[in-house]
Amino acid sequence: MQADALTRAPVRAGRWPGAVVAGLTARKAARSGALWGYVFAIFVASSALGYAATYKTQTERDHLAATFGSNAAIDALIGPAHQIQTVAGFTAWRSLGVLSIVGAVWGLLAGTRLLRGEEDAGRWEALLAGQTTRRAAAGQALVGLAAGAATLWTLTAIVTAAVGRSSKVEINVGAALFFALALAASAVMFLAVGALASQLAGTRRQAAAYGGAALGLCFAVRLVADSRAGFGWLRWATPLGWVEQLRPVASPQPLALLPIAGLTAVLVVLTISLAGTRDLGASVLPEPTSAGARTWLLSGPIGLAVRLARPTVAGWAAAIGAFGLVIGFIAKAASNAITSSSSAERAISRLGASGTGAVVFLGVTFLIVALLVALIATGQVVAARAEEASGQLDNLLVRLVPRWSWLTARLVVTTAALVIGGLIAGACAWLGGASEHSGLPFWTLVGAGCNVVAPAVLVLGIGALTLGVWPRAASITTYGVLAWSFLVDLIGGIIGLNHWVLDTSVFHQIAAAPAVPPNWTTDGILVAVGIATAAVGVIAFTRRDLQGD
Amino acid sequence: MSEQPVIEMRGVRKSFGRTPVLQGLDLSVPPGQTFAFLGRNGAGKTTTIRLLLGLIRPTSGRAEIFGLDCQRQAVEAHRRLAYVAGEANLWPSLTGGETLHLLGRVQGRVHEAYRDELIGRFDFDPSKKVRAYSKGNRQKLILIAALMTRPDLLVLDEPTNGLDPLMEQAFRHSIHEARERGQTVFLSSHILSEVEALCDRVGILRDGVLVDMGTLAEMRHLSALTVEATFDGSVPDLSGVPGVSSVETEGRVVRCQVRGTVEPLLKVLAASGVHELLSREPSLEELFLAHYGTGAELKDKPPRAS
Repeated sequence: MQADALTRAPVRAGRWPGAVVAGLTARKAARSGALWGYVFAIFVASSALGYAATYKTQTERDHLAATFGSNAAIDALIGPAHQIQTVAGFTAWRSLGVLSIVGAVWGLLAGTRLLRGEEDAGRWEALLAGQTTRRAAAGQALVGLAAGAATLWTLTAIVTAAVGRSSKVEINVGAALFFALALAASAVMFLAVGALASQLAGTRRQAAAYGGAALGLCFAVRLVADSRAGFGWLRWATPLGWVEQLRPVASPQPLALLPIAGLTAVLVVLTISLAGTRDLGASVLPEPTSAGARTWLLSGPIGLAVRLARPTVAGWAAAIGAFGLVIGFIAKAASNAITSSSSAERAISRLGASGTGAVVFLGVTFLIVALLVALIATGQVVAARAEEASGQLDNLLVRLVPRWSWLTARLVVTTAALVIGGLIAGACAWLGGASEHSGLPFWTLVGAGCNVVAPAVLVLGIGALTLGVWPRAASITTYGVLAWSFLVDLIGGIIGLNHWVLDTSVFHQIAAAPAVPPNWTTDGILVAVGIATAAVGVIAFTRRDLQGD
Repeated sequence: MSEQPVIEMRGVRKSFGRTPVLQGLDLSVPPGQTFAFLGRNGAGKTTTIRLLLGLIRPTSGRAEIFGLDCQRQAVEAHRRLAYVAGEANLWPSLTGGETLHLLGRVQGRVHEAYRDELIGRFDFDPSKKVRAYSKGNRQKLILIAALMTRPDLLVLDEPTNGLDPLMEQAFRHSIHEARERGQTVFLSSHILSEVEALCDRVGILRDGVLVDMGTLAEMRHLSALTVEATFDGSVPDLSGVPGVSSVETEGRVVRCQVRGTVEPLLKVLAASGVHELLSREPSLEELFLAHYGTGAELKDKPPRAS
């Protein structure tokens, strides 16, 4: 066939011409899996060694266990603690709670990038014209993704086993391998989720959005299950709950691998069969290709920014609203599980909250709201950068739109979206609480919602600054600031990080409202710094070359 | 003021990092002219255009459009121009009609009747979303968006990329209309037949400097004429004839280039029993290739009678 002759030329490996997709995907997935394997390994090792160094005596460890073993808010965020009076138990708890989410996000992004992203970029077209079919290619890509997951697991397992040999840590090799498996389990499932979403959606962004919605739902269900509000059975209803049920190190339950493997298998089968039924470049879910003209917004940069941001912001607003409803709904029941012991209070106060009751639970869980709202900001920074890099922005700038006006329009629209996100979070948390008669005042919760807007504005300002100064690094910097801030605030409170480190977190600056009243002065300063940084970014943007990727 | 050039560049240099792209470019395009900008990939054509549009900044030198500085007075300059990129990068979620509406609004001026005429001429369906358009249809969209404002200056960077031959005709027709209305056109193109058909003046860019500029007639005059002679009997040696170069012999056919007067060559040919004689002016392609020192590909083409 002529097509064979054309496409075999660029393929170097002649040995298995049919396995090119698997090879290419495996190479990329393994590279990314190795990077995150190192991150996992460092996280596990630092947890174990940090704990062993910080809590030297058994008394200190028992005290810690008593504190966190009785804290529903921490449970809801990270998952239930088992045997955290031992180094191994603590390491397993903390690593699993954080890394299962990190792994899921990685899996989701890697799965959609390597399937839908490669297809979007047109690279599959050349490959599929060769000796493979769409179905076989999807199967091969999944094999490639599996190689990535295997790399992640291997690195994590090696380091865990090595650290486990230390007399201070004591995790035997078998337990270490199972622990690493538990850490990689959510990554495996969400790689498959990403692969399936890549069949359903027509673009990589859309696929990532579908996968993100699935992950958000899984996380919300897991949070309710772990909130001690009487929904523990829900743990079996969410993949993230299955990962918890593995209980590595403390009391391993390999049976929980069954639903994990089952779900992965179902997703894989669905992915392969759907790949065979659709056209290359098309999606399974129908996408409208034509529409009536809706031009009322399209008269300038502000209107265009609203129009472009609207679908994404609507998705985030729905997610934030749903999350607000959930935490409001369970707050009262969960707060009953928070003891009023001074140690528990001290532990929560590391996260800024104090006292007892539903507001304390909300004070801690609003950290997630702050993260979600700030994610709107990072998403819009990435979108603005993409508009420049793709050349779409050229269409405006060669007409009568000055540069400052385009970027300012985008920043103003994003700021409005942040405020909307905060208000929705507060209002929905109130609504959820009201349905359970938790007696939370409306304005307290709306105030808490506004409170989380301040760090998001700062993140947006940092994003605008990098857009102006170093555009190619804008996405990674903004997401980096956000991820760092979130992890520092989440982990720092538990292991008692140095306050200099804690202060680098944008979230650590704000009061843990609604547990305590918002500190509007601090919020004002954050917003002012954010606006000033953004202004510098806008000025820098007007004075540089436009840059592609 | 009618003599003020529409485009004026003086000693413009541009480097990306340590890579120099433009190395002292001087260029002037008077009003009403259709100017073609030629050069190989990477010669600096798109960089020049992006500088003129204020999307990137010159490392040194000065670029003006209608006497307005391309950096500091970009918006003022853009009021009177329209630009078509070689690749249409548009917002995939907007429809064609919405895109035209938006681009018209941010330009501030649209000839609605002419827009509708262009939509018909380019056989364009504005109801689809941009993501559903083919490459050619996206290109039509940005062409219509630029032409519909009837700007004083059209800046076109390989504008017919992806258009089929019928649409290429529609494009040429539109450019002829623009010329008749006195609009200035700055066209960067790889399609030399397009340039020959449309342009008054040509500039050839090589390694960031303009190596040749003039009307096609001027450029042809300065370059060699190609002559092909077929002889009845033995083939004379033409290499010593004044003005003649690049002599090639294939059997009884001789091909050569002549610069200046053809009289010495004609005398030799007449004395040698020439049977058939063809001569022609160099095509733009040959002029172009001559500037890049690779005319070899053309040897196989028989010259057409002139």
